Amino acid sequence: MAFDMTMALFRPALKYAMEKNGHGKALGHRMTRIERGEICLEFPYKEEVVGNPLTGVVHGGVIVSLLDIACGSAAMTVLSTPAVAPTMDLRLDYMHPAKPHKPIYVEAKVYRKTSNVIFCRGLAWQDDKDNPIAHCVANFMKLDAKSTRFGAIAITKLRRMVPWSSSNKTARRLNE
Amino acid sequence: MSDSESRQHQLEDWQASVEAARLEKSPQSVMEMIPYAGFLGAQVKVDDNQLLYWLEERPTNIGNPSLPAIHGGVIGGFLELSAAVEVLYSLDIASVPKVVDFSLDYLRAGRYKTIYARCNVLRQGKKLINVTASAWQENENTPIATARCHFLI
Repeated sequence: MAFDMTMALFRPALKYAMEKNGHGKALGHRMTRIERGEICLEFPYKEEVVGNPLTGVVHGGVIVSLLDIACGSAAMTVLSTPAVAPTMDLRLDYMHPAKPHKPIYVEAKVYRKTSNVIFCRGLAWQDDKDNPIAHCVANFMKLDAKSTRFGAIAITKLRRMVPWSSSNKTARRLNE
Repeated sequence: MSDSESRQHQLEDWQASVEAARLEKSPQSVMEMIPYAGFLGAQVKVDDNQLLYWLEERPTNIGNPSLPAIHGGVIGGFLELSAAVEVLYSLDIASVPKVVDFSLDYLRAGRYKTIYARCNVLRQGKKLINVTASAWQENENTPIATARCHFLI
């Protein structure tokens, strides 16, 4: 496959936005794979997010968050200019409860992109990918790149990460 | 003590605490039994004979820092949590109900302020419970998200 410059630039920005901000930071997941239309996440077990204190199983809400992050990020990567794609709806089926004290792996794929909507599928599993914990379908709206300021955030964050970068001018232009 | 015996004890303790919370009319104690509620900061009170759930703004719940907006997963997690507490508190069920599926429609962006939610048990069968939940910020008539959830007893 040819070298994808947009993805090469977008990858660290997306990773930063998803892992180091707000709720993503609180969850503490890691993005292990970022490709066009495909995202993989890894979530280590955490005591704070337990839903059933009797069994120590994580709450379903965490799986909603992880799949929303993975599917949303996958949707962003298929846009020609990376931009925020708001979730329209998300449907989640729980196949079996997660096992405590074990990491959760998540994979999300875009399976169809139309002029207005991006259709994604996501899977969460622990030991065996063929025996998943949960499966989800999520649809995202395609927004005009101008109506989001994602580029500005990404560039500002990137600039902070890379002190020798001279993208100050670009960041200022995008912020205006 | 065997493993299954200790599990039985834990379940009995759990049931006793849920029962006590119902008697005291304090759904917040049920909420506090779930560690994930503390992680999000979800709270609940009895309001108008119904349970009213709310989630105050906190930095760890932000999804998009530029707006800022609440994370979509937080809204989903909060609604699922509310539905679970609704089932635990208001229905007479001995075990901990399991979620089978969860469907969420986002209607508006969640602004960085308190989110309120109300749940409604549409049907309670022998095996399945159907619960809907709706979340709003300024006005109950302009919800930011609605959810539907099935629980298996």
